[in-house]
Amino acid sequence: MNRRLQNNSEYLEVTIIAHKEGQDLPTKFKYKKRNEKEKPMALDVLLQAQENQLPDLAFRYGCRARNCGVCTIDINGKPRIACRAVVRDGDELKAMSTLPVITDLIVRRDQISRQLKGKIYEGGRKNDLNVEASEDYHELTSCIECYACLDNCPMHEKNFSEIKNDQDYFQWGNPFSLLKLQTIATDPVSTVVRREAAVSAALELGLETCLDCPGCKCGVGIDLKGKVIKPLLQNSKLVD
Amino acid sequence: MNIDLEWRNFDVLVIGSGGAGTNAAETAAKAGASVLLVAKDPLSASDTKISEGIATVRASGSEDDSEEALSENLKIAGSDLPVEEITSAFAKDSQTAYDKYRENGLRPEISSITKGPNSLPLPMGGHTRRRSVGHKNSGLAFGHANWNAIVKENKIEYLEDCWVIDLVTSEYDDGGRKVEGAIIYDAQKGKLLAICAPSVVMAAGGLSTLYFPKTDTMRGNTGDSYAIAARAGAELVDMEQTQFLPFCLTSPPSFEGLLGGEPVTASYLGVLRDKNKKVILDGVYLRTRAECSAAIMKAVEDGRGTPNGGAYLDMRANKRAPKSGTYFMKFLQNSLPSAYNNVRQAMNKKEAQCDELWEVRPSAHYMMGGIRVDENGQSIAGKKSNNGVRGLYAAGQAMGGLFGANRLGSTSLTEGAVFGSRAGFAAALYSRNFNKNKLNKDLFLKEAYKLNNLLGQMGTKHASQLKILVQKECWNNLGPIRDKKRLKKTQQFISQCRKELKKVQIGKNLLWNQSLIEYLELVNMIDTAELMTHAALERDGSVGGHVRADCKDLSIFSKPYSTVVKVRKSHIEVSKIDRKRTELKKLVEFKFKEQKRFLEAKLLRLLPMKFKDAIIEKRYKKIMGSKEKAPPLEPGSIEAAVGDQKVL
Repeated sequence: MNRRLQNNSEYLEVTIIAHKEGQDLPTKFKYKKRNEKEKPMALDVLLQAQENQLPDLAFRYGCRARNCGVCTIDINGKPRIACRAVVRDGDELKAMSTLPVITDLIVRRDQISRQLKGKIYEGGRKNDLNVEASEDYHELTSCIECYACLDNCPMHEKNFSEIKNDQDYFQWGNPFSLLKLQTIATDPVSTVVRREAAVSAALELGLETCLDCPGCKCGVGIDLKGKVIKPLLQNSKLVD
Repeated sequence: MNIDLEWRNFDVLVIGSGGAGTNAAETAAKAGASVLLVAKDPLSASDTKISEGIATVRASGSEDDSEEALSENLKIAGSDLPVEEITSAFAKDSQTAYDKYRENGLRPEISSITKGPNSLPLPMGGHTRRRSVGHKNSGLAFGHANWNAIVKENKIEYLEDCWVIDLVTSEYDDGGRKVEGAIIYDAQKGKLLAICAPSVVMAAGGLSTLYFPKTDTMRGNTGDSYAIAARAGAELVDMEQTQFLPFCLTSPPSFEGLLGGEPVTASYLGVLRDKNKKVILDGVYLRTRAECSAAIMKAVEDGRGTPNGGAYLDMRANKRAPKSGTYFMKFLQNSLPSAYNNVRQAMNKKEAQCDELWEVRPSAHYMMGGIRVDENGQSIAGKKSNNGVRGLYAAGQAMGGLFGANRLGSTSLTEGAVFGSRAGFAAALYSRNFNKNKLNKDLFLKEAYKLNNLLGQMGTKHASQLKILVQKECWNNLGPIRDKKRLKKTQQFISQCRKELKKVQIGKNLLWNQSLIEYLELVNMIDTAELMTHAALERDGSVGGHVRADCKDLSIFSKPYSTVVKVRKSHIEVSKIDRKRTELKKLVEFKFKEQKRFLEAKLLRLLPMKFKDAIIEKRYKKIMGSKEKAPPLEPGSIEAAVGDQKVL
């Protein structure tokens, strides 16, 4: 049966791992291609699975154009943006492993933004808004907040290995939070006080973990190591 | 009841975390109100975030750009359906509202002449002046600013993954309704929230998901704003006026509905052709989105549509011109970077290089109608524009009255900021009159019981699958082309669908109950579609985003009116409200200038190549100035990330 399917170009077979009450529930799903040449994205597969086989399958999506950053899932154990990740026969689709799973492919995301609550924009800004930002600043605001960068982040992993005091936000940081802080630090209207506040917030989130880390990977190609981690480490005096 | 209700008190509840909701929450908090912002999607993931990131900022491109000029521009472009007080408010606040984004980190290019935000070189879609400011990273730059606005201080409470089930209202002294708060389903925590708040700002976006996948917007646009407000007793205006973007992709399936180009990017020589390659629309770059969409759909209606039910956008002449041709490709790539990225990924190399025709089809993009409000976003009703639902405010796509029958390019980001701020401020002021502790608990419990009874409903139908049927119906019969027969058919379909609701299977669990979520959204979609059919039947003529195949076009010289729909106990009440017509002299002048431009465009196209090439090259040089350098692009490649292109 399986072999016949593999040779049949009309279908793709994938495994969708749903999740209910702490249990993984794998389902084999045969995706019917909408035309012979179609190379479906993971999101197409999930939508068709919901239409034909798993009507209450829960997954996030938004713009279908790799802009909104909410549809990230793990494909074969690696974070991918579902609307722009081509699926191959035999692939396994599952919730991101780096965040707490609520149901099926839905993860809880707000513990990340909450760790920065009240921590950015301290110390005011200069009054003149008519100043241009640097190329580095704009590179950072191309972040779509897909959270692919949490993968293999030793700082973020600490949230799960230590006893948590508060469920509402993560104590330890991650590349995204550091990116937000570095954006403040490179913002031309930030005062010196605000820049320093951003760097100390990074230290509080565990910036020193980055010293021993080979670096992080961005879902849309931002140079996290060079444009986020390195300047933060330098400004915090953790490295020269 | 099986459900625990969590009771919370706030001055202002804001629904939605896009541009409108964020500005409302920030302004209300600044005015001293306690604010809760709820959204069903993650923080700031919204149409604002995925937009092209171009905002209207008055006087950013020319000194003579007065408030009157901008207000009038909106009004005439909207076929006089827009309300003057609202267009004036937009014109008055566009700069200050835009600066709020800058306070939260939006950094435009600064013009060396004006020392302010640099506007794009050409007037965007229907503007009479240059006043559209583009941004690096498109809408993402706005998304970050919104995110910062909510997170930066500890003033605003926010909850993601929350679906508002209904507003709770009570009777006001004079017999009208007033807001008491809302019942909200928090899927992430598996809880039901009873939020007591005298003011609610509805900023939950539009309804384009009624047409999925023929839309380029966020999935969450299931008409929640309109359905929830209407069920609470609010009046809605212009609900037949959906904006369709004309040049969206038809294939491959993963890209269906996404944006390919805008009228202006068709450039000086772009034309629309039917399946027989006959020209169906000339001077495309000067046309509104509505005109282009109407031209395509009328051709489809006559059986002259392309295989996927659209038309061909032919830009080959731009490319063929020996001198100006190279400028054209740069112009196309730079003007709408994320749309051109879609094209590069979805089409073959020759198409992406404009050496072949693009198959395009309209996609739902924006709802111009919405909750009937005054210039401060407060719900209003009746012939004399009296109070509507007290304490209910709307902003952004949720509100109506600003754009009427057609929305100018780049105005929606500004709209969200202007009216988000206004509504947030008005909501905060209004809430000061109320004693938070005086609470009518029974009203909340009544709403909560309704949900309680839904949980565990047995049945054979699935809401997610019914949604797909609704979407097909809306596209076919309530879409970019309509007639009486089709609209009546949609109404029949909707009443049938309502019967099916009782057969929908709904799980018992409270933690992220997807079947319940799908059900709640399905109901909002059905309610919204029904309201739209009533408005669309009332408007028996084509105007702007509403194209009736069985009726004549409404002349801009005819008496303008808006449709108003309102939910009564057993039926939907439809009425008309007169709008003020722009002075005849101005309309004639407007029409004359428009026709003149179309004629000039046609003549240019028909000139011998040598002459038109020289003229167009000169124009490109002028508009592209010294910033003509194109980014290194590999057409057809798919590795392009959104953030790597610059706006012209």
